[in-house]
Amino acid sequence: MSHRDPRYDVLFEQVAIGPKTLRNRFIQVQHCVGAGSDRPGFQARFRSTKAEGGWAAVFTESCTIAPEADYAPFVAARLWDEGDVRNLSLMCDEVHEHGALAGVGLAYGPMTQAGTNETRLAPSNVSSTSNPHLSGTAGGLWCVDRHDIRRIRQLYVDAAMRAVRAGFDIVEVNLSHTSSILVRFVVPMYNQRTDEYGGSLENRTRFAREVLDDIRTKVGDQCAISVRWGIDTLDETPWGFAGRGVRADGDGVGLIADLDDLVDYWNLNVGTVAHWGEDAGPAKTHPENHQARYTQLAKQVTNKPVVNVGRFTNPDTMVKVIESGQCDLIGAARPSIADPFIPRKIDEGRPEDIRECIGCNMCASRWEMRGPALVCTQNATSAEEFRRGWHPERFDAAANRANDVVVIGAGPAGMECAIVLAKRGMRRVHLVEAESEMGGTMRWITQLPGLGAWGRIVSWRAIQMQKLSKSLTFVPRTRLTTDDVLDYGAELVVVATGSSWAADGRSGFNPDGISGVDAVAQDWALTPEQIMVDGQQPVGNSVIVYDGDGYFMAHELAEKLAREGRSVTYVTPFPTVAPYTEYTLEQPRVIAGLRELGVTFRTQAVLVDADGSQATLTDSVTAVTQAVPCDTLVLVTQRNSHDSLFRELRDRPDRLQDAGIAGLYHIGDCVQPSFIAQAIFSGHRLGREIDSPDPSVALPFIRERRIIGGSDDDYELGSAAISAGEVVPLTMELGGGGLADQV
Amino acid sequence: MKIVVTVKQVAALDDEFELLGDGSGVHPDSVELELNEWDAFSLEAALQLRERAGSDDEVVVVTVGGTESEETLVGCLAKGADRALRIWDSSLQGADVLVVARVLAAVVAHEAPDLVLCGVQSSDAVNGATGMALAGYLEMPHVAVVKALDYDPAGSVATVRRELEGGLVEVLRVGTPALLTIQTGINEPRYANLRAIKQASAKPLEVRTLAELGLDAAKVSMAAGSRRRKLRHPDAGGGAEMLDGSPSDVAARIVELVRERMTG
Repeated sequence: MSHRDPRYDVLFEQVAIGPKTLRNRFIQVQHCVGAGSDRPGFQARFRSTKAEGGWAAVFTESCTIAPEADYAPFVAARLWDEGDVRNLSLMCDEVHEHGALAGVGLAYGPMTQAGTNETRLAPSNVSSTSNPHLSGTAGGLWCVDRHDIRRIRQLYVDAAMRAVRAGFDIVEVNLSHTSSILVRFVVPMYNQRTDEYGGSLENRTRFAREVLDDIRTKVGDQCAISVRWGIDTLDETPWGFAGRGVRADGDGVGLIADLDDLVDYWNLNVGTVAHWGEDAGPAKTHPENHQARYTQLAKQVTNKPVVNVGRFTNPDTMVKVIESGQCDLIGAARPSIADPFIPRKIDEGRPEDIRECIGCNMCASRWEMRGPALVCTQNATSAEEFRRGWHPERFDAAANRANDVVVIGAGPAGMECAIVLAKRGMRRVHLVEAESEMGGTMRWITQLPGLGAWGRIVSWRAIQMQKLSKSLTFVPRTRLTTDDVLDYGAELVVVATGSSWAADGRSGFNPDGISGVDAVAQDWALTPEQIMVDGQQPVGNSVIVYDGDGYFMAHELAEKLAREGRSVTYVTPFPTVAPYTEYTLEQPRVIAGLRELGVTFRTQAVLVDADGSQATLTDSVTAVTQAVPCDTLVLVTQRNSHDSLFRELRDRPDRLQDAGIAGLYHIGDCVQPSFIAQAIFSGHRLGREIDSPDPSVALPFIRERRIIGGSDDDYELGSAAISAGEVVPLTMELGGGGLADQV
Repeated sequence: MKIVVTVKQVAALDDEFELLGDGSGVHPDSVELELNEWDAFSLEAALQLRERAGSDDEVVVVTVGGTESEETLVGCLAKGADRALRIWDSSLQGADVLVVARVLAAVVAHEAPDLVLCGVQSSDAVNGATGMALAGYLEMPHVAVVKALDYDPAGSVATVRRELEGGLVEVLRVGTPALLTIQTGINEPRYANLRAIKQASAKPLEVRTLAELGLDAAKVSMAAGSRRRKLRHPDAGGGAEMLDGSPSDVAARIVELVRERMTG
C-alpha cells in the first residue's frame, strides 16, 4: 500500500516510449558494474534488484556489438553471439519478473584492442589521447570507408536483433562519452573527413542516422529505441576538446533535432571519455543536478521524453526537474548503486530511508581498475546480491540470535555491523563508543574541503539505528578496557576500534619511519588527527604534505592548509599526485584545484629526513637527493590499527570462556586500515555471517567461471564447486611446533 | 540512606503518531516508549550518592503506570537501582498530575526515604508539576530545578544549586528528608551494560494496587486538578500570504494588514 506523499506523485506517472510504457519516471541508466555478459548471474541479480526496487527501466552497462568493438580490459557487456544472448536473457527475465523494462546500450567502441587484438577503426586517423598504451591506438587508426561503414551498420543491426532475442525492451544506441565510433563521427575532434560523412553536422550524423534507421526498421515495432547522447563536451573547461567538440547550444541540440524522428526518447549526459568524471561528477566538485545547464536545452528541440542524470538523490530535486520542464525522466547510475530501492522508498512514504550516494566514485574506481566488480561505500550489498546472496533490504533471522552482542567502536564498520546484527534479530546489540557521538573518523573527515556529503554515511546509519532502538542501544562516552569487555555481559564481542595515522612517517617507502620525525613530540610534525581533531596549527612558513597513502587524505589536507594561507608543497613517492584519484576520476580537478591555490608538487620523491626547518628528498628514480625548506611536515603515510584490545582479548581464550564469550571478532580499520567502503563491507559481512560456523572467515561466494563438467547447480551458494572440499584440520600449537610431532 | 526516585515512562517525541479514535489519548502502538529524559539524570544523581555512601543504602524507583512501564523500571534496575515499585489501578488511566502525586505520596510516606528525587518535568506532558505537588502532599522541604547537589547522608542537610532565569543560580541549603526536582545536565547518566541488564530481572520489582497502599480509588480521583477532555490535531491554517515587491511595497501592505486586523 502506498503512503506516498502526494507531492511525489508526478514521479510515478507512466511515460510512453514507442511500443513500450515506463511504469514511472525512474530509469537506471547504463552504468558499468564489472559483470558484463560473462557473469550473467551477477548481471541479472544486480539489475533485477533495482527492478524490484521500483525502477521503471534497468539497463546493462555499455554493450559492445562485436569483438572488434570491445573495450577490454575495461569490462563491458557483450552481444557478440548466441552465448551472450542466452547470458543476458537471464537479466531480462529477472528484470521482467519485477515488472520493469530491460534496456541494453549498444556500442561499437573504438577505445582499446587489448583482449581481442583487433584492428581499431575510426572516422579519421586521429589517435586517442587517453592511455595510448592501453588503447593500442598509439600509432594510428584505420580510417573507415563506405565498405567498413556498411559492415558496421550490419553489426549494429545483428546486435539489435540479438538484443530482441535476449528479451530487451529498449535498445539504446550510445553516442556519449565519445566512446563509440558513431559519436566520433559526430565530434569534429575525431572527424576530419571530406566525404559525405564529414564536415557539416548533417554529414557527421549520417552514420548514426543510418544505424538508427536500420535498427528502427528491423526491431522498432518490438523495442523502444533511444539514444544516449553526450550533449556537450565541456570545451570551456580543460576537460573538453578546446573548440573541437560538441556544444549543447550548437551541435548538441542540432543532433537531437536531426535524429529526433528516429528515437522514442533521449538519454542525455555530458563529457568526454577521457574525462567522464565530468559526467560522474564527485559530490565535492559537482552538486546534484550539475548537468542541467547543458541538458535542459534539449526540450527546445524535441517533444520526445528526455532523461537527465546528475547524481539525483533528493526526491524534491527530482520533482523540481520534472515540473520545471528540464527533463521528463530521472536517470540515475550511482544513486541506484547506493540504493536500489529509491523509487519504492519514495512510493512507500519513507524517503528518510533512502541511502544517499555520497559521490565518492569508489564504484567507478573499480571499473577503472579494469576487472573487479564494483564496490559502493554506502551499500555493501552492491555487487554481492548474486555471489553472496545479499539483498539490500532483506536480512534473514540469525540462527544464533538468542545472544547479546557488544560492538566496540561506532565508526563506519561498527555502525554497519550493529545495524545488520539488529536487523537479523540479535537479542540485544550494544554499540559502545568512546566519544560522545557516533561516526568515528567520519566526524572529522567530513570537515575536509568538499567532503561534507560523506556525512551521509553517518546520518543514514543514525536514522536506521533509531528505527532499531528496541534492540540496538548506542552507548556513548564509554571507553572499554579488556576487563570491561570481559565483564560486559555479551556472548559475542565485535571489536571495531579503528586506526590512526602514523606519527613517525612510516610506510613502505620509509619502513623505519622518517629519520628525525616524531609527531607526538614535535610541534612541527603533524598527523591528520593532530590537525583535524586537536586543532594543531602548522608552524613557520613552508609546509610539506607528504603523501605515502595516495588517496584523498593528503591532497585534502594540502588544500585545507593552502586555503588557510599556508605555502604548501605536496610531496609523494608515487609517480603521480594522489594516484588513486585517477580511478575515482577526480585527479584532474584535484591537481588543477591545488595548483590554483599555489600548491607545488614533487612526485617520485621519498622524504628521508626532516628537522623542523628542512627536509631531504630522494628521487625514487635517479636517487638524486635534495634539501628543501620544511618548517612543518604533515605526515600522511600509513595508518596503524588500534589492535591492542582485540589482541589482548584473543590471547586469553580462558578468560573469554569464563566470561561466557562465545565469539570474538574484529572488523574495519582495526584489522587493516583501508577504504571506508572496505570498513563498511567488513562490518556488513560479519553481520550477515554471524551465524556461520566460523564468522571470522568469509563464506565462499559464487564464482562465475567455466567449470569442467559443470552445471547450473555450480552457481548456487553452498554448491560443491565453491566448497573447499575435504578439510583435515591440523592440530598445532600456537607459536610453532612441527606438524610431524602431531601426526 | 534511602533515596526514592520517581520515574515516568513516556512516549518518545516524534512527528508521526496517531490519536485514539475518541481523542482520549495517543494510540499506544504508534509510539515508542522510553524513560523520561529528566528521570535518567535524577536516577544517576541517586546512584552517584549511593556509590559514595555505604552498602546499606538503597535506591528505589517508583512509577505510576501499566504493565508496559515495567520495561522502563527494569532499565532503571539495570542501571543500578536496588528495587522498583509499580503502582497501578484501572482508575488511574488518564490520571492527571495531582492524582499521580497523590498516589506517589502514599508510596513515599511508606518508604520514608532521606531524599526524593524527581525530574523537573516529563518530555510528553511537560507540566513540570508532579514533583512539587508530591512535595506539597508530603509537606516536605523541596527545591525545584536543581543543577548541582551536594549531600552527605551522615548529616541532614543537602546543599543545592538551583537554576533560575538569565543564568542566575541560587544556592540553598535544605534539611532532609527533602524532595528535589533534578534538571538535565546535572550529570552524565550511565548506561547499563549487558550483564547488568541480564541481572536486572533478578532484582525486586513489586506491583501495588491503590488498596494495598491504603488508598481509596474514588477519593484519589477527586484529587484531580484537571481532566483531559480530548486530544485532536490542530486545524490546518490558511497557509501564509507571501508579500512580494520592494521594501516600500511590502511595508505598505503590512500597514494595510495591521489596519484591517485592528478594525476587523
